[in-house]
Order: sequence, then structure tokens, then C-alpha cells
Amino acid sequence: MRIKLGFRVWILIIALFLALLMVSPRLDSGVMITSIEQNSSAYEEGLRQGMRIKSVNGMQIKELEDYSDAIHSIFPVENKTKLIINTDKREFILYTDESPRMSVGKIPRTRIKTGLDLQGGSRALVKPEVDLSLGEIQDLIAVTSNRLNVFGISDVTVRPVTDLSGNNFMLVEVAGATTADLKELVAKQGKFEAKIGNDTVFIGGEKDITDVCRTNAECSRIEGCYETGNGGYFCRFSFTVYLSETAAERHAEITRTLGVNTTEQGRYLEKNLDLYLDDNLVDTLLISENLKGRVTTQISISGSDTGATREEALENTKESMHKLQTILITGSLPYKLEIVKLDSISPILGKEFTKNLISLALVVFILISVILFVRYRKIKITLSVILTMFSEAFITLGIAALIRWNLDAPSIAGIIAGMGTGVNDQIVILDESISSTSISIRERIKRALFIILGAFFTTVMAMIPLFWAGAGLLRGFALTTIIGISVGILITRPAFAEIIRKMQE
Amino acid sequence: MPRNPWYDKWYKILFIVPLTLTIFAIVYLGMFFSNTGDFMYKDTTLAGGTTITLHGDISQDQINELQTNFPDLIVRKLADVRSGKPIASIIETAVSPEELQPELESVLGYNLTDDNSSVEFSGPTLGQGFYKQLIIALIIAFILMSIVIFFLFRTIVPSLAIIFAAFSDILIPLSIVNYFGIKLSAAGISAFLMLIGYAVDTNILLTTRAIRNRENTLNERIFRAFKTGIFMTGTAILAVLPAFFLITGLPDSFKQIFFILILGLVADLSNTWLMNAGIIKLYATKKEIR
Repeated sequence: MRIKLGFRVWILIIALFLALLMVSPRLDSGVMITSIEQNSSAYEEGLRQGMRIKSVNGMQIKELEDYSDAIHSIFPVENKTKLIINTDKREFILYTDESPRMSVGKIPRTRIKTGLDLQGGSRALVKPEVDLSLGEIQDLIAVTSNRLNVFGISDVTVRPVTDLSGNNFMLVEVAGATTADLKELVAKQGKFEAKIGNDTVFIGGEKDITDVCRTNAECSRIEGCYETGNGGYFCRFSFTVYLSETAAERHAEITRTLGVNTTEQGRYLEKNLDLYLDDNLVDTLLISENLKGRVTTQISISGSDTGATREEALENTKESMHKLQTILITGSLPYKLEIVKLDSISPILGKEFTKNLISLALVVFILISVILFVRYRKIKITLSVILTMFSEAFITLGIAALIRWNLDAPSIAGIIAGMGTGVNDQIVILDESISSTSISIRERIKRALFIILGAFFTTVMAMIPLFWAGAGLLRGFALTTIIGISVGILITRPAFAEIIRKMQE
Repeated sequence: MPRNPWYDKWYKILFIVPLTLTIFAIVYLGMFFSNTGDFMYKDTTLAGGTTITLHGDISQDQINELQTNFPDLIVRKLADVRSGKPIASIIETAVSPEELQPELESVLGYNLTDDNSSVEFSGPTLGQGFYKQLIIALIIAFILMSIVIFFLFRTIVPSLAIIFAAFSDILIPLSIVNYFGIKLSAAGISAFLMLIGYAVDTNILLTTRAIRNRENTLNERIFRAFKTGIFMTGTAILAVLPAFFLITGLPDSFKQIFFILILGLVADLSNTWLMNAGIIKLYATKKEIR
């Protein structure tokens, strides 16, 4: 028998296709950079977390073992050697005498991200002891992210959360770190120092740095972007830092005796200004000759960053500038932080849970198919219900991947709850459409849709408060439920109704 | 036209079952509140404290030893139903991980690492904040749901009947959970929110079929709604059951959500079909909707 597909069914097919694109199962081989140490030669050349390595010095990299074999065959070496790393973005050439200071992992097979309780890791909910404005929370988050990056911790999410009573928190989630690490990093206040040689010029916080120009274009700007010799681009930034009187005098004292070097870019003092965060060197700046021995409370800090294209260079430069500014202004926070919730989830337990969740989903599918078949005795009807249920779950996953939502256990419970509601709705449509009354099938389906809409709105209303209650830790449950039932109402239910109507006619 | 003298005769009597259950739940919760000062037992996510999930077993002797130092300590075990193999032991107490962990390590004889355990800690003030907010969320959800119901049906009695059923759908599972001494987690409370949305579905079905539609007799319409509704709820309950009898190694939060949903759906069967159907029949008869 031939069924002409109506436009609602087409919408469903398109939605399924888009969801597939979103989830985008990846079949390409290679390894992915999971973390990379800043200030390493690999980082400076432009290699970044998330890039996928295809080959090293011509040796093809298909899996993790290939990468370690390749690196072991090259290193250790006596002298600096050429290392060509080919990634999905472009080729990088390093001259180095040590293996690149980065760690690599498997390329994730899909874009679906799983939450902490399924993949393992640590989470801290941090509350500042004073009430912070949203802007201050953003600063705190920038500082914390910087510090976690400096320590080479990868896969970090730091985000603000607000609860129903208006409390602001910072949520830090790190895959693959212990709570001890996290606790130390979060609780310990960031210590910022600017040094020339071994002498400290100024330290972070209000005592030495009175202000950092950040939003005013007069004193904080990108000066321009230029082409480099080998086809890439670089951009320069500069911004003003206001020092206290004492810090300015210290600066004059230390620079008075320094010599001057002449370079291509201009004339600079022989020693650099080194910026340290928690005793880790984060940046090195050249000091302009005219600052030598001067007591100045206004210093201009400049720097640059590179990129393959002009846009990329500009983006990277903005980011570098912003990072440096945050380090300077809030290198040490003017308030204490309290960890109010600290969880660590074992990756092994997470794996066990994931495995069981998948088996559960399969069993539920089979069970529902059997129940429906027993009731309706029609393979076609059973199949369309199952197909609709599957579509709903799949499109929900696609949307979750699109908005980069971390699927945790409550989110998955939400997907399942959404599927449950979906099956219920389809039963309503089926029963309404097979009822042997004198009313037309169109009218019967219209009635079914009234019931379904009512059920939809009550569920959405019930879920909305969960977005804020409890620092949003259960937001996933509300979100996936709402996405699931919305997909149902807008896409799958109309398509299902159409299919059933066609079958009845 | 099939007549149903049995239902016509008995529907007012059937009221008694859900009404008694609801009154019983209210009385029980009232007593529970006067005894404990609260409406539920709260786990560490709501009361503050530490939960350590061991990826393995812990013996009764070891538990007893721990309980001498931490009298409030409780242990729950997750096992794979098919193989009987222990998957995890969940240890809960009100103290901080710094106090519990060294004791636990010395009793177990090995160190706790990321590979063999998960440690979750909630500060007591945070937990209480969560609890308060989730209760507020529950109340807001209930109010919003009621508004939608009034908007849908625009009649007082049927709408109130649905809202009362939803109210009872929450109270009955809550008393059962309390009776079994189950400590509710934040995820567990969100299950009650879900219940608000989920359990009213059959009530909407019933009310729509009975008083918005007009073909056949009232009894027939109620009976048809009943057939659909029972099947809907039955499917939902059956679909959730494997989480308890077949695949048991699921995250705890997950199981609690499902358990509460099952209780709520069962309560809803009685509330919708024994009580609400009767109210609708009475209302329709008075309003002469046939």
C-alpha cells in the first residue's frame, strides 16, 4: 500500500534530519587535545584544546596509541627538532626539544555532552560571603576560569547560578579533577604579582593597582591587525593600568638601573615585566624605554595575539586582553569564598549508570511496544507509536546537543518522563480516532488535540519553577521535559495524528 | 445504548475510597509534622551532610563500627537484580566529608579514590535553602497548574475536582514515602512537580470527554475515557517498573523520581476514576448534560 506523505510528516522527517546533524555522530579518526599548558611552545604556536590531531610528522594518528607511539618515536631528542602537527584546523610547526605539553583523548563520537554524574568529575557550588552584583559575579567567574586554566585543568565549566531567593552562586564543574584539587583552587585566593627580575613591582588588588581601564575605548583598545610573514595575522592591544603612588615609586626604583635593548619593534628595557598568578608565570611584557626610572601612576600595558585569519587574530587578541585585565584587577579577590556544596562523582560509577540507563531505555521501548501491540493488535499502529516515541527522544537529544546542554541523571529522567507523556498522548489520539462514532475523523482528532494541549500546558507550568529552585541544579529535569513535550506538541504529535488519519481513511 | 445500572447505583459510594485515603493521608501527614516538625524526611542534599557512594560492598559489621561514631549514619545498597552483584553502597550522614572519610577508610581498610567512590557534600544552610525553594516551587507549580485548568474548562466544579485530585495525588505518595521512612532528595521533590503535570492528564481526558463532548450517553463517555485513561496510566506504570525489578543499578536520584511517579500514578487511578468521575457525573446530571 502506498501512503502519500503529508506536510506534517515531512516536518517530522526534516526535524529528525536536523537532530541528526546536531548530534552529528563523528566517524573520523584521530585524537583530540583535551588540555594544553599555557606558556608552552605548542600553545604559543596556536594549538588549542578541542583541536583534532590527524598526523604528527607525517605519521597518521588514528587512535590514542598512535599518538603516544609517534611521540615516543620522536622524543627524547638532544637538540630542538621540527615537529609538524596536522590538525583539523590547520598545520602547526613547532621547534622543540621536548614532547608537546598537552594531553590528548578520544574524539567524542557525538556532540551530546553528558553531565558530571554520568562521566565523573567534581563540582563545587561556591558562595561569596558578600552579596555580589551580576557584574562582580562575572569578574569572579573570569578570574576563576583563568586560574583553573593556568593550572592546566581542562574541561571546566564555570557559570553563575541564581536561585529563587536571589542568591548568586558560582558553579564550577571539572571533569576528571578531585575535590581536593578543586577545593584548594577555589578556596585559596588568587595571588597576583608583577615582577621585574626577582623584584616585585606590584601585586594584585586595590593596594597597588587602583584601577584597570577595561570598557573605555580611550584607554583600552585593539590598535590594529597586521599580516605576519607566513600568511597568518596578529593584532596588538593596549590598555592603561593605574598604579598607587607607592607602587609607582617602586617601579621607578627598580627600572632606574636597567639597560636598554633595541629591537625591531622599538626600544625596550633589558628586563621584562613578568606577571605571575599563584606563582605561575602567565605573561611577559616588554617595558618601553621611556618608562625607565619614571614615577608614573599610569602605565600602558600592551601585547598581541595571533590567528590564521584576521578575524581569528582579532578574536584571540580581544580574549588575551580581557584575560590580562581580569588578572590585574581581581588577581586577589576582595572577599572570601565559601564552598557550600562539593561533590565528586567516580567516573567508574558514572559509566555503570550510563550503561544501565541505556539498557533501561531499551527495555522500556520493548515493553511499551508489547503493551501497545496487545491492546491494538495492529503492527502498523504499534510501529508508528514507537517511531514517534523514538523521534521525540532523538529530537530532544538533538536540541540538547545544539544548546550544549550537559545531560545529567535528572535530564535523562526528564527525557523519559517526556516520552511517557508522549505515549499517553498518542493513546488519546488512537482511542479517539478508532472510536466508532458518527463524528468525522478530523473532528475526533481535534478533540484529542484539546486534551493533549491541556496536558501540555499543565506540565509546562509545573516544570517552570524548577528552573530557579535549588540553584538550578535540577534545571535539566525541567528543561528536557519541556523540550520533549514541546517537540511532541509541535512536531511529532501532528505527524502521528496525520499518519493515523491516513490509516483510518 | 448500554445502560449501566451498577455504576448509576454505586458511583456515590465509590467516592468513599479516595476520600478516605486522602483524609487518612492528611491526618497521617499532620501527625508526622507534629512528631518531626517537618513534612518529610530529608536526605543530605536537603538537610546538609555527606553522601559517599562506594563502588562496592560494605559489611554489616563495618556499618556497626561506623555507627558507634556516627549514630545517624545509614547505608543503602544498590545491587544488580539479575546477578545479585552489589553495584554500590550509599553511606549518608550529617557530618562533613573531612570527618567521615578517614573513619570510613580505616574501617574499610583501603583509601577512597575517584575510582572507587563518589563523595557528595551539601552545607546545612544550602540544603535548607534548597528545601525551602523546592517547596515554594511546588506551590507555584500547583497554582500555575490550577490556573491552566480553570482556563481550559471555565467551570468551577469540574476544575476544582481536578485540582483536588492533583492535591491528593501529591499527599498520598508523600505519606507513603514518609511511612517507609524514605529520605527525599532534591530530585525526589522534583518528581512531585512532575506528578502535578503528569497526573492531571487523565483528569483532563475525563472532563473533556464527559462534559465537552455530547455524543452517546454520559456513562458511555465516562466509560470510554476510563478505558483510555486506565491504559495510559497502566502503560506509564509498567514502563517505569523495570527500573525496580530488572535494571536496578541506576542513579539514586533517578530511582526516587520513578518511585514517586509510580505512587502518584496509582493514587491518581483512585482519585480520577473513583472520585473525579463521580463528581463529573453528579455535576453533569445536575446541569442536565446527557
